[in-house]
Amino acid sequence: MDKTKIICRCEEISYEEIEEVVGHGAKTFDDIKRLTRCGMGPCQAKTCTNLVAMVIHEQTGTPLSEIPLPRIRMPLSPIKLETLATNSTTFSTVKSVLDELELEEGRVK
Amino acid sequence: MDTDVLIIGAGPAGIVAAIETASKGLNVTIIDESNLLGGQLRQQTQMLQSLPSPYQSMRGFELAQDLTNQLTQFPIRYLLEHRIIGIYANGSLGITDELNVFPIMAKKIIVATGATENAISFPKWTLPGIMTIGAAQTLVNRDFVIPGKSAVIVGSTDFAMDIIHQLIDVGINIKGIIEQQPTIQAREMKKVNELYDIGLPFYVNASIKEARGIGEVKEVDIQLQDRVFTEYVDLVLVDGGRSPILDLFYQLNCSFGFGDKLGGWVPSYNQSFQTSVNDVFIAGNATGISVHGALLITGKIAATSVCEELEVLSREEAEKQSAELWKELESREYTDVFQERIKHIESYKSPMLKNQFIS
Repeated sequence: MDKTKIICRCEEISYEEIEEVVGHGAKTFDDIKRLTRCGMGPCQAKTCTNLVAMVIHEQTGTPLSEIPLPRIRMPLSPIKLETLATNSTTFSTVKSVLDELELEEGRVK
Repeated sequence: MDTDVLIIGAGPAGIVAAIETASKGLNVTIIDESNLLGGQLRQQTQMLQSLPSPYQSMRGFELAQDLTNQLTQFPIRYLLEHRIIGIYANGSLGITDELNVFPIMAKKIIVATGATENAISFPKWTLPGIMTIGAAQTLVNRDFVIPGKSAVIVGSTDFAMDIIHQLIDVGINIKGIIEQQPTIQAREMKKVNELYDIGLPFYVNASIKEARGIGEVKEVDIQLQDRVFTEYVDLVLVDGGRSPILDLFYQLNCSFGFGDKLGGWVPSYNQSFQTSVNDVFIAGNATGISVHGALLITGKIAATSVCEELEVLSREEAEKQSAELWKELESREYTDVFQERIKHIESYKSPMLKNQFIS
């Protein structure tokens, strides 16, 4: 197999680049994303999720059913900031990353 | 904006769910990013054989028209050319019409977001002229654009066989079908044999070694077990199978299980097609990739469950209706797919991925 082939077409991340970070201990899509930008382009991992899972599987032998999905955040697909800002005065569209955390006395539980 | 039932995705499963819930008097909203109802059916010119009663065998776009006509009897709110951007802490969903974002609060949600085609990677697979086979079908049947003159097909599922027939009909020269596995993956042998009979070469245990071209694909090297040869094509159509579209389920904090024959990761659901999140139901190819008949039936079962929960259908009636639909599902869908669906349902209480969103 030619390992120069592209896996993430948006960010042009190749098989060998992913192989390298898997060799350094990356186990999940999100590990690879943080190390290479894989999945961070316009399609937001919609094309490469399964391809990356296959690379992890081929390199580590981990069954596909044990390779978790990438984290999927809001907004689910690209949206203009102008649109996201909305003209509504009663509804806040913007969600803080802190919404994902459970807080107790101002600290993360 | 409030609604009893929010249906996400206006493909076959979503429309059937809308008909079922609206016919019981529920207030129904259906949302789709496209400008028309019908989803993928709109560009499907192949005959659909596995449809449940009362549907006769018909072509995909005809089924889309039939379903859309049925919808007109009911006062349904349509949000076409609208997208969901995510969920808020109070349980409302953010919807955009591309100008603004507004919230919608639904008592029950039926997610029928369908499936997406999987990519196949090989050197230079990102060249223009290389696309999924479904993309070629959309170009030909919906947009009336012929994407190329001569093509090789990578993959051999039933989905691909149907489309290859349509591509040949518009004059595209198919130079070969390349399958990585030792056998052709399609199950409807009639369609495969028709392609054999017109002399179309099938290559098994084969793959694309490399594509070449400047600015667009011009040639591909095909790797067979014992040799490599070059075909000159301006179109490479990849058929990597399909997988459920999961983004929204993830955002809704649904749990997931894994089923090879269902398309990989699939949201967990029970016999009522209820996900691990109480008010969220699932229908169509998102429940596992299957035949058209199964998509319609899953939409009906999910809608029946929602009608029961919203008390417009008695428990007994819902159970009876559901049991009949399950029988029909079993008879329409391939046995191994149905069995994997049952296995998936049995693992409902012990999903492989859970609490993904809030960690």
